[in-house]
Amino acid sequence: MMQSIPAASSWFKDRQLNFLLGVNLIIVIVAMVLSHGEFGGIDNLQSMASQLPEVALLALGIMLSMISGNGGIDLSGVGLANLSGMIAALTVPHYVNGDDSPLLYTSAFVALSLAIGLLGGVLNGLIIAYLRLTPILCTLGTQLVFTGLAVALSNGASVHVDYVDALSAIGNGTVFQVPIAFCIFVAALLLVGWILRQRPFGLKLYLMGTNPKAAVYAGIPQARMLIGTYMLCGLMAALSGLIVTSHTSSAKWDYGNSYLLIAILIAVMGGVNPSGGYGRVLCVLFSASVLQLLSSLFNLLGVSQFFGDCAWGFLLLASLAFAGNLRLPFKTNTTTSKTPATPPRT
Amino acid sequence: MKLTRTATALAGASLFIGAMALAQAAGTETIVTVVKVTGINWFNRMDEGVKEFAKENPGINAYQTGPGQADAAQQLKIVEDLISKKVSALAVVPFDPPTLEPALKKAMDRGIKVVTHEADNEKNTDVDIEAFDNTAYGASLNEHLAGCMHQQGKWAVLVGSLGSRSQVQWADGGIDNAKKYSKMELVEPKLETNNDGERAYEVAKEVLRKHPDLKGFQGSSSLDIIGIGRAVEEAGLQGKLCVYGTGLAGEAGKFLESGAVNGIAFWDPKLAGLAMNRIAKMLIDGKTVTNGMDLGLPGYNKLQVTKGPGRGIIVRGQGWIDVDKSNYKQYAF
Repeated sequence: MMQSIPAASSWFKDRQLNFLLGVNLIIVIVAMVLSHGEFGGIDNLQSMASQLPEVALLALGIMLSMISGNGGIDLSGVGLANLSGMIAALTVPHYVNGDDSPLLYTSAFVALSLAIGLLGGVLNGLIIAYLRLTPILCTLGTQLVFTGLAVALSNGASVHVDYVDALSAIGNGTVFQVPIAFCIFVAALLLVGWILRQRPFGLKLYLMGTNPKAAVYAGIPQARMLIGTYMLCGLMAALSGLIVTSHTSSAKWDYGNSYLLIAILIAVMGGVNPSGGYGRVLCVLFSASVLQLLSSLFNLLGVSQFFGDCAWGFLLLASLAFAGNLRLPFKTNTTTSKTPATPPRT
Repeated sequence: MKLTRTATALAGASLFIGAMALAQAAGTETIVTVVKVTGINWFNRMDEGVKEFAKENPGINAYQTGPGQADAAQQLKIVEDLISKKVSALAVVPFDPPTLEPALKKAMDRGIKVVTHEADNEKNTDVDIEAFDNTAYGASLNEHLAGCMHQQGKWAVLVGSLGSRSQVQWADGGIDNAKKYSKMELVEPKLETNNDGERAYEVAKEVLRKHPDLKGFQGSSSLDIIGIGRAVEEAGLQGKLCVYGTGLAGEAGKFLESGAVNGIAFWDPKLAGLAMNRIAKMLIDGKTVTNGMDLGLPGYNKLQVTKGPGRGIIVRGQGWIDVDKSNYKQYAF
């Protein structure tokens, strides 16, 4: 199954990945021609790489929640991202002086926002696992709670974050010309990929998503799995919030309110099965990069953003139309309610 | 299957040819106006101004863009893409001024000229242009009201929110102006309407009940005038009461027609768009804005220059437009 590292010969068997790589390639070629090479300039590459992580991290969260099955989805990502950044921005300056000890200030900032993210994720997990609320309803509710808290804490205005070198570097700095935010994203990608592929947690998550009933009989601790999954979602959201806060030196409750649907679009276009059991980190990465390349290309050419939305929709349809070999589990899943066991997928 | 693939490929190709056709020919200088959100009347009107500027200056590639969704994050992405495109100047109407600070700082560090509008708290900008001085605007509204009331009688002021700096400044400008006239009696200073037409209607009704001999209303939020208009119509006081305030012709038109509202004022985004671009061009040419300068636009003939909160300056015109029943139809936005 998907846990084994594919041999070189099977690299081209994933149609979703081929499709996404192809689209990426076409866009890059077209963009290079249209912009006379300007698109490949270091400035543009850096700009794209620093814009990508905010929404791509949220898409990773969506992917994890979708894999868990049973209608799993995390709608609270954007709200939690803004809330975690805002709480850190409001609290840390009271205890640590950023000018005197910039490193302590930055680590406290990072630790606090990640902790809030984990906490929010645990809350989601607890509600879904023990109150047995449908994930879409639970996270819709917690999204409103997180956003509402952020409004109440800030009175609706943006919260200013004082300029501290180390903190600002997270969202604006580069290492060897690579934006630090992008490095953080790659690290998150590797972490999630490693958990899904190499850890028992990942195997159990895929199994649970494929057939929740069979998972129960197989002795997979459903509640613990759900809490763990949504905790990871919360961590992704908090990372995204941290990058946003550092990037804009401010935190605002409604920043990125358009990100939720884009993150879902990235996950679905990346071949993640919305009914659970399948999703590849690599595909989500390339799906996110397609959207970033397209939107930057349109901005470079001065094309209307509405045209960009239209192109995204077209791509999603195209990906559903002929990269769709991976949507088979969708069929098996709907029939699982009648048949106790699913045939193993290869 | 093959056919589907060919069809999809063809559709994809046409998409890019479309994009290519839409791509504008590169001029020597590029000035891009980035608005809060595209597709709404206010910024469509601003686009008219940007297009007029582009026509006046064939050597400059000037166009307007903005996010399709009202989201600070989307606007920030556009600004960043434009910085890496190395445009000559950015004219930005920030969705949330603090969010754009680091990006605009980066732009200025790279030698891109930055002009902002409706953002007198933006630190990283060369020039922030405001249509008018808020106090002078409030005084002008009040002068119309005083004229209608024959400089005597009781009057009241409504504001959308006491937390809104500009609205409070408009109200205070009006209150100060009325002090010139000893017979004008301010009975209700700055009642809050929560930027809500329904609440404004209730507040106006309460005021009318408390002061049956009231002669005038001055509104601040564009919704105040709507609420007051409804209350006046219901009480059948059209023509007996003077009502002036900030409003949009499209929304307040029917109250102007019925006489429940005597006059409204606003600023024209088309002129603001033109003004931003003209100033951006001056900055590119190495010139700057000086006190008393004339931009050649109505309402921007005698600019007031003050120091901004950061590196740049704040420029104010007298760019408000007063309209009444006779001419509101010219401003359909």
